[in-house]
Amino acid sequence: MAMDFSLSIDEQLFISSVESLLSDHQELPQNSRSKAYYFDSQLQAELKNQGYLDAAIELGPVAGALLVMATARLSPIVEVGASALVRPMVIPKQPLESPIVLIDMAEPRRTYRFLPVAASALLVKGDDIEVMRVDPVQVEEVDSIQAYPYGKFVNPREIFSCRLVAGGASRLRQWWRVAIAAEMAGAADAAVDFTVQFAKEREVLGRPIGSFQAVQHRLSQCRQIANGMRWLTLRAAWSGEVKDANLAACYAQQQVGKLVFDLHQFNGAMGLTNEHLLHFWTYRLRALQNEVGGAYSAALDVADSLWSDVEESIRGANDLIFDVMS
Amino acid sequence: MDFGWSEKQLAFRHRARSAIRELLPADWYDVAVPKSYAHDDNVEFSRVFCSRLAELGLLVHHWPVEHGGAAGTDWEQFILAEEMKAVGEPRAGQYMNVNWIGPTLMKFGTAAQKDAYLSGIAAGSSVWCQGFSEPGAGTDLASLLTSAKEAEGGSYLINGSKIWTSYARKADFCFLAVRTGSSRKEISIFLVPMSLPGITVRGIPGLVKDGHLNEVFFTNVHVDGAALLGELHRGWDVIQYALQLERVGVPRYHVGLKILDSVMADLKAIGRADDKNIRARAGMIASKLEAARLLTYLVVDQRVKREPPSADANIARVSTVEAVIDLLDFILEFVPDALTGERPELEEYIRMSIPSGITAGTYELQLDLIASGALGLERK
Repeated sequence: MAMDFSLSIDEQLFISSVESLLSDHQELPQNSRSKAYYFDSQLQAELKNQGYLDAAIELGPVAGALLVMATARLSPIVEVGASALVRPMVIPKQPLESPIVLIDMAEPRRTYRFLPVAASALLVKGDDIEVMRVDPVQVEEVDSIQAYPYGKFVNPREIFSCRLVAGGASRLRQWWRVAIAAEMAGAADAAVDFTVQFAKEREVLGRPIGSFQAVQHRLSQCRQIANGMRWLTLRAAWSGEVKDANLAACYAQQQVGKLVFDLHQFNGAMGLTNEHLLHFWTYRLRALQNEVGGAYSAALDVADSLWSDVEESIRGANDLIFDVMS
Repeated sequence: MDFGWSEKQLAFRHRARSAIRELLPADWYDVAVPKSYAHDDNVEFSRVFCSRLAELGLLVHHWPVEHGGAAGTDWEQFILAEEMKAVGEPRAGQYMNVNWIGPTLMKFGTAAQKDAYLSGIAAGSSVWCQGFSEPGAGTDLASLLTSAKEAEGGSYLINGSKIWTSYARKADFCFLAVRTGSSRKEISIFLVPMSLPGITVRGIPGLVKDGHLNEVFFTNVHVDGAALLGELHRGWDVIQYALQLERVGVPRYHVGLKILDSVMADLKAIGRADDKNIRARAGMIASKLEAARLLTYLVVDQRVKREPPSADANIARVSTVEAVIDLLDFILEFVPDALTGERPELEEYIRMSIPSGITAGTYELQLDLIASGALGLERK
C-alpha cells in the first residue's frame, strides 16, 4: 500500500471500456431536448446486461464510483448510484433488479428520485434495510425540474417490503452518501466543462465572456470544487470508511449553491432553457443537495466522528484529528 | 488507486514525530510557538534544532547522497513538512533551505558555490532569506528595481531594497534577485552574505507576528562576481526552477485540522461543543480541509511520478486558502478571546493565516493560472 492517485491497470481498462460504451449515448434524442430529463433505458439495459453494474463487486468500490461519475457526465440519465455502488457494497449477495430507488421510510410521502422507472427499491426503515419490487401501479410520476424522474407512492400505507437486512441502515446511508458524492462529482465536472466551452464561444461587448477575469476566477473556483468532489469521493470509495463518506457528501452538498449560481450566471438566459443542456447537470446537483439529510446532516455526522467526546479526543499537541498513522 | 500509506512511509512519519518530540524543548508550545517561527529567538533555535535534525538524518533526507542526503522520496519530504508545520515549523526559515534553495544551488551552482553553501545547509547551521519582493514588485516580480551593476574587478554593486523578507534579521545569506539589464527579464540571482557592509534590515510591525515582515536595504553593496548564481541576466530560469520546487506549498490544511480540534475542545470547555450549528460549521470546514489535503497530495503524487507542473498545484492552493479562511471565520466567531492574548498558540495560527491568500503567489494569481492552465481560457 502506498499513496498513488493513478488508476490501477484494471481500473483504467474498466473506465476505458465504460467510456467506449457511453460514447454511443452522448446525444439526446431530438424530441427529448425540451424535457427536464431523458432517461436512457437502452443504456440502463446495456449497463446491466454487460455486467458494468457489478464492477464494484469484481473490481472494488472505486470502479463503482468511477462508473457513477462517468455516467453522471452524460446529459441522458441512468440509474447507477444505487445499482452499481450501494447495492454491491450493502447487499452484494442479494440480486436486485435495476433501476433501484433508495427510500427513507421515515418520509414515505415524499417524492423519490428514479421511483417512476425503478424495478426495485432499497428502503431504510429505522436501523434496518428492506427491499421491495416496485409495482408501477403504486407509483405516480410528478413533474420536476430536478433532471431526474421523480415519483411518489400513490398510497404510502400500502408499501409492502420484505427481506429484512437487520442493522444495515447505517451502511446503506454510508454508501448512499458515496453514491451521491460520485454523482455530484460527475455532474459538476460536466457542468464546469460545458460552461467553460460556452464562455469561450459566447461573446459580450465584442469578446468572449471567458476572457473576462471576473468570469475566469469564478470558473476556476468551480473547477477547484469539482476536483475536490472527485478526490473526496474516490477516497471514500477506496477506504470504505463512514467518516470519509460523510466528508465526501458534506463537501459536495455544501458547494452546490456556489456552483449552480456561478454556472448558470455565465450561461445567462440560455441556461434557463431546457434545450441548452446545462440544467441536466446543475439540477441534478440541486436534486442531490438534500439527500440523506444534505450537507448539514453530513456535517453533523463528520463532527460526531471527530468530536463525539472532545475531551477524550484531545491528544498530544503533536497528534492530529485525522491521524495519518492509522 | 491507493489512498493509504506504505509501511515505509508510516515508519518515516513515526521517525519524524519521534525526532520532533525528542528535540523540542518542554516549553516549545507555550513559549516558542506563540512567537511564531520567524521570530529572532526561533530562527536562532532553528540552528540548534536543524543541526540535531541533520545528525538524525532527517534534515535533508530527500537530498542526493552526494550532498549529504539519503535520496529519500518526495512523499517522505512532504511527510516531514506536514509534521514540522503541525508543531509550528521549528526549522524556521531553514525549510526553504532544504526544499528549494539547496536543490537550486545543486542545479545552477558552481562547484565553489556548492562547496561553500550546501554543506552548511545540510548541517542545519545556516539561515537564508529570500530577496524577491520589493515595494513595487510582488506578484509582478519582473518589475523589480534593485540593481546589480558591474564594477571593478568583475565585482557587482548592488543598490535597492527588498520587502516582506522573513528571517532577514538573523539570516546569514540572501538568495537575491536583482535587475542586471534594462529589459524586464534581465534579472540575475546573487548569493549575498548578509554581513556585507551596506546591508541594513528593518522590521515592520504588522498583523502577522514579528520576524515575518522586514525591509532590507542595499546601499552600494559590493559583491564578488563569484556570487552570481547561474548565468548573468538568466535569473528568471533560476527563479522558475526554484518556484516549481515549491509548487506544493505549505501544508496549511494539516495544521488547520489540528487547530479545529483544539477549538472544539475549547468550545467543549465552555459548554458550546454540543451546539448543532457550531458542530455543523466545524464539520463543513473539516470537509474543506480534507479536500485541500487530497488536492495537495495529488500534486505530490504527480511530482513523485515526475509529471510536469500543472494547474493542479494552483487548484490545491486555492482549495487550501478557502478552507483556511472558513476556519478563521469560525474561530473568530466562536472563540471570543482568540486575539486578546488569552490563547497565544491560537492567535499565532490566526495571525499567520491572515496572509494565506497573499504569500507564495496570491489567491487571484492562482485563479488566473487555473483559468489558463486547466480551463484553457485566455485573457484578451
